Parts: sequence; C-alpha cells; structure tokens
Amino acid sequence: MGAVYSLTLRQLSGKWRLVIMTVLAALPVLIAVLMLHSAHASSVKNFEDVVLSTMLAGSIAPLVVLAIGAAAFANEVEDRTLANLTLAPIPRWKIVLPKLLATITIAGPFVAVSALLTSYVAFLGDARAVLAVTMSALVGVALYASAFVWLGLVSTQAIGLGLLYIVLWEGFFSGFVSGIRLLSIRYYAIGLMHGLDPRRFATGNNVSFGAAIALCAVVFAGFLLLAVRRLRRMDVP
Amino acid sequence: MMAPAAPVIRVDGVSRWFGSVVAVSDVTFDVTPGITGLLGPNGAGKTTLLRMMTGLADVSSGSVKVFGQSVRDNPPLYQRMGVMSEHESVYGFMKGREFVRMMAKLHGMERIDEAVDRAIDLVDLADAQHRPMRTYSRGMRQRMRLAGTLVHDPELLILDEPLNGADPRQRVHFKRLLQKLAAEGRTIVLSSHILEEVEELADTVLLIVNGKLAASGEFHAIRAALNQRAYHVKVVCSDPRGLASAAVGLSSVDAVHVDPDGGVLILSRNVLDVQVELPRLAQAGGISLRRVEPLDDSLESVFGYLVEG
Amino acid sequence: MTTQLTAAAESGQPPVRTGTVFDIGYRSYTGEREGLNRSRLAVYKDGIRIALGFGRGGRAKILPWFFIGVLAFIGLIMAIVAGAANRIGGPEAAEQLPSHGDYYSIAAIIIFIFAAIVAPELLCRDRREGTINLYLVRPLTGGDYIAARWAAFLTITVAAAWLPQIILFLGLSMGDPDPIGYLRLHWLDIPRFLAAGIVMAAYATTVAMLVAAFTLRRAYASVFLVGLFVITTPFTIGMASEIGGAAGEWISMFNLADIPLYVVDLIFGKPSMLTKDIPAVHLPATTLILWYLAWTLIPGAVLWWRYRRLSP
Repeated sequence: MGAVYSLTLRQLSGKWRLVIMTVLAALPVLIAVLMLHSAHASSVKNFEDVVLSTMLAGSIAPLVVLAIGAAAFANEVEDRTLANLTLAPIPRWKIVLPKLLATITIAGPFVAVSALLTSYVAFLGDARAVLAVTMSALVGVALYASAFVWLGLVSTQAIGLGLLYIVLWEGFFSGFVSGIRLLSIRYYAIGLMHGLDPRRFATGNNVSFGAAIALCAVVFAGFLLLAVRRLRRMDVP
Repeated sequence: MMAPAAPVIRVDGVSRWFGSVVAVSDVTFDVTPGITGLLGPNGAGKTTLLRMMTGLADVSSGSVKVFGQSVRDNPPLYQRMGVMSEHESVYGFMKGREFVRMMAKLHGMERIDEAVDRAIDLVDLADAQHRPMRTYSRGMRQRMRLAGTLVHDPELLILDEPLNGADPRQRVHFKRLLQKLAAEGRTIVLSSHILEEVEELADTVLLIVNGKLAASGEFHAIRAALNQRAYHVKVVCSDPRGLASAAVGLSSVDAVHVDPDGGVLILSRNVLDVQVELPRLAQAGGISLRRVEPLDDSLESVFGYLVEG
Repeated sequence: MTTQLTAAAESGQPPVRTGTVFDIGYRSYTGEREGLNRSRLAVYKDGIRIALGFGRGGRAKILPWFFIGVLAFIGLIMAIVAGAANRIGGPEAAEQLPSHGDYYSIAAIIIFIFAAIVAPELLCRDRREGTINLYLVRPLTGGDYIAARWAAFLTITVAAAWLPQIILFLGLSMGDPDPIGYLRLHWLDIPRFLAAGIVMAAYATTVAMLVAAFTLRRAYASVFLVGLFVITTPFTIGMASEIGGAAGEWISMFNLADIPLYVVDLIFGKPSMLTKDIPAVHLPATTLILWYLAWTLIPGAVLWWRYRRLSP
C-alpha cells in the first residue's frame, strides 16, 4: 500500500498546483481578518453563510479536492499506467484506499489550515469553535475525496460532472431545497460543525448531528466500496 | 508413463465483443512452457486476446485459466505472472530504478535491491537507471518496463508487441534474453505482427486473423501446410471465357473462376507451369493478356488462405 | 507488386525471383490548391466539431449539449413565467419580471462553466498528445491555429448565448396578446441582446482559452477556471461589503464573473436585477467598459503571444 500511496503523492503534487491551492486556502482567512477589523461586525450567521458555508465548504474545499481526487485515477486511466498497479498481486482495495488517502493527505492540510485560521480569527480563538470548524472541514475533504476518486475512476468526464455537481447541486439546489441537504456533502459538514459546537452555531435548517455522523460514514465507505468494485470489474486500459 | 503436464494457460471457447463488433471469436488453445508467439495482422484481436489472458479485460463468453485458476479478479495469481502491455507510457517523473523498485514492492518482494539490480542488468540499463524515465528513448523505456516485468522472477511472461520500436541491436539483445528465460523453464507468450520475429523466436505459433484462431503449431509446419494449398493467379485479358476454358484443360490448374468484372482467377499448385503455359494458350486463342498477377506474396494473402481454407 | 518466376527453374536450379513495378496509373494531385485561408477554415471547422462533440460518439456530446440545453431552458422558463404573469396581472406585471437584460446575470455562471469545460478540449489535447505539430508543420502558424480555434469557440459561445435570448423574445412576443405590437415596442431589444451575447461570449471564450493555453491537462484547466469564477464571487462580495466605499467598489470589480455584466447593463441602459446591488455598478461607464476591454484584450494578447511562439 505504501508504494501506491507514495506514487500517488508524487503524481498529484506539482509546484503550480500547490501554489494555487495555497492561494485558494488563504482567501477565507483574508476575509475573516478583514471582517474582524471592520467597523460593523457581521453576525455569526452571516459569516457562517458567506464564508464558511459558501466559500469554504461549498466552493474551495470541493474544487481543490476535485482537482486532486479526480486526477488520482483519471490521470492513470488517461496515461494508461493503471495496469502497472492492477497487475500486482494485491487486493483491489489496497490500490483504491492509498489513492484516497493520498488525496486527503494533499488536499487536507490546505483546507484544514484555512479553516483553522479562518475560525481562529473570526471567533477570537475560541477553541471549541475552531475545533468544530476544522474537524468538519476535514471530514468534508474526506467525503469529497471519496466521491471524486470514485468519479475519476468511473468516468472520463469526471471533471465536468464534478463541476456540475459542485456548482449546481452543492452550490445552488441544496441552498434552496431543504430536502436536498440530506444528500449534500456540504450540509453534512455543516451539520457536523453545528453538532460539535451548538452554543456558537445557532441551529438553522440543518442536518442533525447524529444524522450527519451516520451519513458521513455511509458516504465515505460507500464511495470507497463502489470504487473497489469498479476496479475489480472494469477493463483496465 | 507420466500424464502430460497441465497447460500453463488454457483458453477455452473465448469470445469478446464490443457492442456489435466481435473482436475475438471462439478461440481455444493451450499454452505450454517455451515461447509461444501470437501472430496476426494489426487489428486481428491479438491485444484483446492477450488482455483477456492477463485478466485486464473480461471475456464475453468462454473461460481463461492460468495455472488452473480463473485469471479474472484473482490478484494472487499475478505473483507468478509478469505482463507488459503494448502502451509505452511510463511515469515520466520516476527514475528507472525507482520504477523497478516500485514494481518489486508491489509484488511483495523481500530483498528488493538485489532483485532490482538483477533485473536492470538483464536489460542492460545499469547506467541509465538513475535518470527520470521521461529522458529515456523509446527503446530504453521498453527495456526498463521489461525490467519491471521481470523483477519478481515470474514463471509466466505475457508481452504485447515487446519489440515495438526497438532498434536492430536491441532486437538481438531482447531475443537472446527471451531465449535464455525460456530455457530456464519459463512460459513466454509474446505477440507481434512481424512474421520474421515470430519465426525466429517462437516454438509455437498461434495465428489470429479477424478474431479467429486460424492456425496453431510449429511455424515451419504451418508454412509447409500452406505450400500444399493452391496459389491464386489473377488474369485480366480480352476474352475471359475463352481463356478460362482453355486454362481448365491444363493439368497444373486446379480450378478456374470467372469474376463478374471479367477477371479470371486461376488456382494452381504449380505456378511456374501456369506462367509458361498461359501465354501459349493466349497466343493460340488470339487473346491478349493485359495483366497476370500471382496474388500470394503479401502477408494478408497468406493469412487469407488460412481463413478461407 | 508482381513477381515473375523465370525459366531458370526449368534447369533444376532454384527459381530466381525478380521484382518489377508496373505503372498502374498513379498520378499526383494536379487540381487547384486553395490557399492558406482554406487551412484556417479547416482548423475553425474542426474546432467546432471538437467543442460540440461531433464525430466522437455520444459521451463527448453530453456535457456541451447539456449546458446549451440548460441555457435555453432558463430562457424558456423566463418566457413562460412572463407569459403567465401577463395573463394574470396584465402587461405591467410582466414588465417587472426579469427580461433580456437580466438573463445574462442569471445565466452567467452556466456560460462560464461551459467555457471552462469546453475550452480545454480545444487546446489542451493537441498540445498534450503532440498533434499540434500536425498543424505547425503545415503553412499554418501557431497564430493561425489559435485564431481559428478562438473563432470557433466564440461562434459556439455566441450561438449558445443568443439561442436562449431568441427563445425568450419569441416567448415574450407570443405571450403578449398583441405580438406585433410587442415587436414594435421592443424591437430594440434584439440588437441589444445580440450585442450583449457577443460581449459575454468574447470574455468567456478568451479567458477560458487563456487558462487552457497554459496547462496540458484539461482537468486542471477546467477546475482552475471554475474556481476563478466561482470563488472570486463570494470573496469579493464579502470583502467589498466589509470595506465599503470607493475601495469596496474597486474590489468588487475583481469579481471576475461580473466583469462583462456591467457592459451588458450599459447596453440595456439599466442595471440588471442581480448586479444592481454590487458597489461597482456606481463606477462611471467608461471605467467599466475599459475594465472589460482590459480583461478581454489582454488575455487575448497573451493567448496570441503564447501560441505564436510555438514551433513544431
């Protein structure tokens, strides 16, 4: 597994990619700093909606993870090097899981640090709030990673479909139609955040804590299993 | 007397279709230790067949068994197999040695450095092993890939067009290497569309044409069988029917066809005789010959015999 | 090729095979050779084929046509809603609803994502697989290539931007109890939305192709572009509202998704529903137009420069 893991780490980290991810991760932090120093403090709800929900969980995190996660398998399929891995005498999950972990390893720190700094600045160092935001951001990364690694394995149009999912499903519909929040990774992460620190985050129309945890586990494991199944049954180029 | 050893690979009634296109059609054969060559024109289905034999692709019907087990969805089997696909793409950023090391690790080898050194020496790339593979020439890439395929010392080697793009010196080296490996008791299956390569290397030849197994066995025996067949000579002249009826009278002619477009097709096992007699017949009948073409010198027509036969 | 066995065989020696090549009438092309423009046209047409997925099977067509469908659908919905409002509340009610001027602010993100996904198909593949050399070894220059590709993509984007507006116009005029009257009153909308469509398309095309010109993998180009358009929006809105004032106006100018929309507003003479709250709207018209031109022409120039220097 280690071999696949380090291979994927090398495949997915390029200098420019890392620079762009740093820039993206810095944006919410900037806003939080500005908001803090501005004359009128915006409400927690407003901050949560604009910065945490929309920017961080709704755009930056999924886009960063999409670029990395979909590439994990899609690049191999496109370059026709996947056979190097599938022709090894290892169970298929030992190919999928390290790819997934490598995706999380690369994308995770950017999102986590961004979340940490943003919430630290915005909530004036309140440990519990910071922890809530950071943990839920990381879980969000893990979920998106699982979904997009599977997508990259399954479809040659992974990026287009992933973008559609992020912008239309997560970005648009789930904001308006409450029922869809039960099927939205963004809202699982938000639900977790609320659950971890209920005093700070007033409960809105969100997924309950218990439900969020269960759904997170199901989604993560589900896409992982789907990817393993696909790898076993597909024709490897 | 001992029972014959079980074949290393048993392909039984295997077909593969993609939608309405049949790539491989009802192929059955056994592969035993030594070098087996899969020969056929491009697009004949060799690669599809090899991919099914390695478990990379699924069969539409039939079964493929390697070492007595189904090869599909059976990762432990890869411990004993080394496969090199036709795609030349490599991880450009990796150094050659790193690539072979990775392959060794993936195959769970223990004394990795030893095995890697041995594999790289076998392909004679020790000086280039510390350079990234994107700086390699095409031939070097093939060789390094071969090293990656050999590093875990597999009993069975399946190589798809391994001599693609190799220069003459590399070809010689490669051939010697394969012969040495086969002499050690391994089973090697390699595919090629080049007649001479397969002729030199393979003990057994499997001829694939249009997805079907058209001939199998020892190369020269197949060639001899071909020689038993009638050759085709196509004649274009001013009086097809007249020439045809005269040609039928020759003892060296097996059969005569007259095409709707006016061409005459003469089947004979003694072309030399036909070449001599034909002009005489034409002159006697006052027929002018426009074209006389033996149709048999291209590879396709060699394959063609076997398919129609 | 024909081989002849000679009579040497009769003497018992192995046959000597000679080879002869006959003249079977091969002729080289002597017809008219069309000039450079023909090859440019070929690259252009090929660009259209690639972008819309023609000749590449069903899967390649899904995404581009899906987006075109979504854009048209939005126009259709707007027309239907206006028609319904007209029936229920009369023409005054219909006037209040979003119309041609607002369409682009609603559909802008779809157009940008469409550009983000399709532009890399046009440029990245050729450079990655090396097929760009097939073009460059011909009398075509890199500049010809990029100009033709850009023109092809512009054509498609303009068509995609016009189609829903045309649907909307037809819907509005037919939903009105007096279609001819509607036409006479609102005929000015037609040149307006045609111009607006070009403004949107030129921007989306150029920026998208610029990003695609700098990376080899389509995936990264697409994600980067969407990231650019999607993320700058909440970011600049957030910052602008925090900082406020003149600085806030300038910061909201960096909302890349809105840059062409200000010009669209100017064409229609009033800010659209979605842009009227943005501070940047208050800036003078010339500034907005120049800003748009900067963000379209400079990327265009860089794109040109990048491809001009390519050689096989």
